[in-house]
Amino acid sequence: MSEEKMAVGRLKEKANKIRKAVLDMCVRAGTGHVTSSMSCIDLLVALYFDNILRYDPKEPLDPCRDRFILSKGQASPALYAVLAEAGYFDPAELKKFAQTGGKFGVHLQKDVPGAEITCGSLGHGFGIAAGIALAAKLNRELQLVFTMLGDGECYEGSIWEMAAFASHNRLNNLVVIVDRNYLCVTDFTENLVRLEPFEDKWRAFGWEVKRIDGHSFEAIRETFKNIRSRTSGKPLAVIADTTKGKGIDTMCYNPLWHGLAPKDEEAKKAKSCLERSWDNE
Amino acid sequence: MNNLPQRDAFWNKVYANAKTDRDIIVISADMGAPALDKFRIDLPGQFVNVGIAEQNAITIASGLALNGKKVFTYAIAPFITLRCLEQIRVENAIMNIPITIVGVGGGFGYEDSGPTHHLLEDLAIMRSMPNITINSITDSVMAEHFADLSCREKKATNYVRLERATLPVIYDKNTDYSKGLSILRTGGNCCIISTGSMTHVALDVADKLAKKKIKVGVIDLFSLPINEKHFLSAVKGIKKIVTLEEHFLPGGLGSAVCEVLSDKGLTLPVKRIGISTEQGYCYKYGGREVIRKHLQIDAGSVAEKIDGFIKA
Repeated sequence: MSEEKMAVGRLKEKANKIRKAVLDMCVRAGTGHVTSSMSCIDLLVALYFDNILRYDPKEPLDPCRDRFILSKGQASPALYAVLAEAGYFDPAELKKFAQTGGKFGVHLQKDVPGAEITCGSLGHGFGIAAGIALAAKLNRELQLVFTMLGDGECYEGSIWEMAAFASHNRLNNLVVIVDRNYLCVTDFTENLVRLEPFEDKWRAFGWEVKRIDGHSFEAIRETFKNIRSRTSGKPLAVIADTTKGKGIDTMCYNPLWHGLAPKDEEAKKAKSCLERSWDNE
Repeated sequence: MNNLPQRDAFWNKVYANAKTDRDIIVISADMGAPALDKFRIDLPGQFVNVGIAEQNAITIASGLALNGKKVFTYAIAPFITLRCLEQIRVENAIMNIPITIVGVGGGFGYEDSGPTHHLLEDLAIMRSMPNITINSITDSVMAEHFADLSCREKKATNYVRLERATLPVIYDKNTDYSKGLSILRTGGNCCIISTGSMTHVALDVADKLAKKKIKVGVIDLFSLPINEKHFLSAVKGIKKIVTLEEHFLPGGLGSAVCEVLSDKGLTLPVKRIGISTEQGYCYKYGGREVIRKHLQIDAGSVAEKIDGFIKA
């Protein structure tokens, strides 16, 4: 087996483990944005477990760390599960998600080691990430700043204010990943207010744009493999096409699942979906 | 001394500090000041113009602050506060990322620009959030002091509410601002508590009443939340209180004063003078004094009201 295949296999296995953890914590709590988390887990797993992001869970505030800013704060279960897996805190804490005595709830909370910011209201994390990236430039530091937006978050005007600002200020140390799962809260994005042609919009704002399959570890690895030696002066937008609910077929392509955790029979079905081997896909 | 507009006194001080502290960054939402011109020219790496995008200014500032910078955001006061309420609430109140929010034009500072530029709600709204302190500036000496303070390491955000007009200097360099208030006049049983430009009106009112042999005290309350200990000490022995503000009455300075009195069980008669929501927004032109007269918050009207209040 090639090295690439082995690496991808490891990442798939890790992603499946994270998906199970996320489903488990949300079912246990009876709340949490399961589908919004599932769509971005493969991207998060690649960032944290394929040597893309530079971090040290023992030094969560190391000034030299790369930053990962989750702007779509409703996917906090995904990030919490990844952070626990990476060693930022005891995975047992996940079982207390959004419950009495738990340290964190449905939206992202900055005092959780590795979480960086408090987020839930949309259109904030991106701008904070750009501010951090600007400070890194002013300080001549080499850290990279990654931020993940939801596609539905891109309806917020603040996203585009910041998109213009970041390219004008040549923040090429800033990487935006858009979790393009095509679903908003009540409907598909293209039914609500069209986002496409999405790449053109980012390009018009002065960004380098890549569009990838956000569930293909091969594609994700290819996209980020030279991330530290980019020669472009532009910030980078990676539009990652994803499926909201990915891995749980019974929860995909249905806006009604937004923000919900499955119960009883639905929970059993969801769990059995995740029991399948990813290698067989 | 050569009196300056508050904004120039403020930015001159920030500039002086920024020359030796590279972590000081000014983010302007396309708002200028003569004192900022030299900042932009001499310290280009510490000056960012985000365009007319105040919300963006707050968020970028907060990101910069998360990475160790001491950041000032600057715009016309209603826009850098109320327009950015969501950003200030999430970044600075909830997350407690410390920045300095500088707005020019409290009250009717932008007198002839109409209600979009008048600012009659900011004290109520900004003081309703944790981790935000309001510095309502009375003169250019005070502006310089709070500029200096804002350049130091901070634990929370402050909103510096600057007057647009150049007002007389009433403080000196040795003033202690740590109490959040200053007793400017003593005497009599009644005291006016005011803030910002209205403190100058209050002094005028005290002079007018003095001519009628009526003595009133004047307290300039320039920092919110109110420092309760010093406030209670300042109003000790006072029998009647008048609050005076160029602000809507709900939630403003008068409300803040009544909250402290009520919480402490002090049942003093209080007359709140400001703008009622029934009076609403103002479309009168011809200068600030015309507006104040129309709304009966000019010195003459206020003196009459206080005279009646004292005699009642």
